[in-house]
Amino acid sequence: MRIQVNARNRGFEFDARARESVLYAGLRAGIDLPYECATGTCGTCKARLVSGRLHDGWREAPGRKFVKPEQGEFLMCQCVAESDVTLQVPKFINAMDSGAPDARAGTVRSPRMLTHDVISFSVELERPCDFDAGQFMVLAAPGVAGYRGYSMVNYARGARRLSFIAKKKPGGGFSDWLFGADRNGARLEGFGPLGKATFDPSLGKNVLLIAGGSGIAGMMSILARAAEAKYFDRHQVWVFFGVRTMRDVFFLDELRAYPKADITLALSEEDPPANTPLRFERGPVHEVAKRRMAGKYQDVRAYVAGPPPAVDAAIRVLLLDAKLTTDNIRYDKYS
Amino acid sequence: MAKRMVCRVGDVPENTLKECEAEGGLKLVVANAGGEFFGFQPQCPHQDVPLCEGLFDGTTLTCHMHLWQWDVRSGAPQGLAEAPLQKYPLSVEDGALYLAGDDSPLGMGELFNGLDSGVLENLAQLAKREQHAAGALLYRPGDPAEDFFVLDSGQVEFLVGRGDRAAPGGFMLKKGEVFGWAALLEGTPQRIASARCVEASALLRINGKSALRVLEGDPASGFVVMRRLAALIARYLASSGAR
Repeated sequence: MRIQVNARNRGFEFDARARESVLYAGLRAGIDLPYECATGTCGTCKARLVSGRLHDGWREAPGRKFVKPEQGEFLMCQCVAESDVTLQVPKFINAMDSGAPDARAGTVRSPRMLTHDVISFSVELERPCDFDAGQFMVLAAPGVAGYRGYSMVNYARGARRLSFIAKKKPGGGFSDWLFGADRNGARLEGFGPLGKATFDPSLGKNVLLIAGGSGIAGMMSILARAAEAKYFDRHQVWVFFGVRTMRDVFFLDELRAYPKADITLALSEEDPPANTPLRFERGPVHEVAKRRMAGKYQDVRAYVAGPPPAVDAAIRVLLLDAKLTTDNIRYDKYS
Repeated sequence: MAKRMVCRVGDVPENTLKECEAEGGLKLVVANAGGEFFGFQPQCPHQDVPLCEGLFDGTTLTCHMHLWQWDVRSGAPQGLAEAPLQKYPLSVEDGALYLAGDDSPLGMGELFNGLDSGVLENLAQLAKREQHAAGALLYRPGDPAEDFFVLDSGQVEFLVGRGDRAAPGGFMLKKGEVFGWAALLEGTPQRIASARCVEASALLRINGKSALRVLEGDPASGFVVMRRLAALIARYLASSGAR
């Protein structure tokens, strides 16, 4: 199907594959359509249908609360063109410089429980994939409707294998599938890489990473990228990783592999034990970060990921206490 | 029209925000910026998130959803924000806030916001208010570009080029947006696109040469407008790559 997008500044045309969402078709064509989660939650990819027919694959998507269906509005990530369509996106849109995402298939390898409700797994890709530290893929399991976004934990150019972590979410289709049985060897469909909360060593600033729960995934990729570029020798890197209790802690050994990073774990619901291998403090992760970071915000770029309330609380600290400018706060509420 | 009360002064403590409903039904957010009060639209122009849930430090308002920011005094966008806030001027009498007239689209747009009030007044005197039906053609390629337009309400779309080779050139839908700005260029500029009202639209039409004379009378304001016009043109040039 042929899709025409009229943006605020110009028009674009591209083709969509069968059953491919409008958003994924446009991104694959190298057009920087607006999105954040790419999986029906955030509402950022809202557009208005001018002509043609669409099929909405998920009418109960949480992000639908941001659209006005009576005005022809819809989520590009959930809708597939059933005829040639023309649509309007009320944003300035440009072509991407490089690195358009694409559909990617792969095989699940080495699933392993990290805690009682967090699992790690890898996806062995059919074709190698370049991505930036901090990016994510959307993954779909066989027989489970819809994609879910997961940040890459590793970093490699031309990666053959992507590492992920996932938290158990009752009622989450992909999560139920992943935790429901040993999925080693299962085939997944994916699309990516996606996401703009990325780190590149050319940044040249001190880096503050604040993660709640599985939001640590993208931070591990950033640490791997930074280590490869010997970034710790030139800049300070702070990591704040928040979970509820000791039994929710994971990646301790992986974090200890970065002795030049200043790492703090925050426990929100219990006092940390004595003699921990890394620094532990009691409190919500944004409070712990606020305490330890006071007076150290010169030339800092912050990355935040985790559950939406934790991300919002951290952003509040970074804007009002740290006085960071908004371009130095990169965040991902949907990991 | 009867004065429309918004709220009591004491309802909005210093350096906080409050969503209010004025008499007659208009919803707005009131900001108390160090004892001065400013009113503006209740929802973020980005995704209709309530702005009263935003972060406010007494000067800058930040929407918590995507960190769009504005100066509450001018409504001008800062940082990541792509659109200004519609302001509602307020007056204070006997410990209460009242709506004080409507905000002109001229002062909202990215070319003219925050300019010296005398310059804005002179520009406003040049403006002719026009109402167009859906489908109305405002100009076509090759027409002399004598006037520029400021959108008050409605939607206007552009087609670049002629006939079969015409391609979508974007659209305007926000109050205060300026188009047809070729009229602000030297010489005898021509239209390179057609402009058509997608829906019933209200516009201000301003003669370009007359506006330039106003700006020449206040070179400081004129410089600001030309700097913003250059940025505007650059943004469109940057996006005109192969399609």
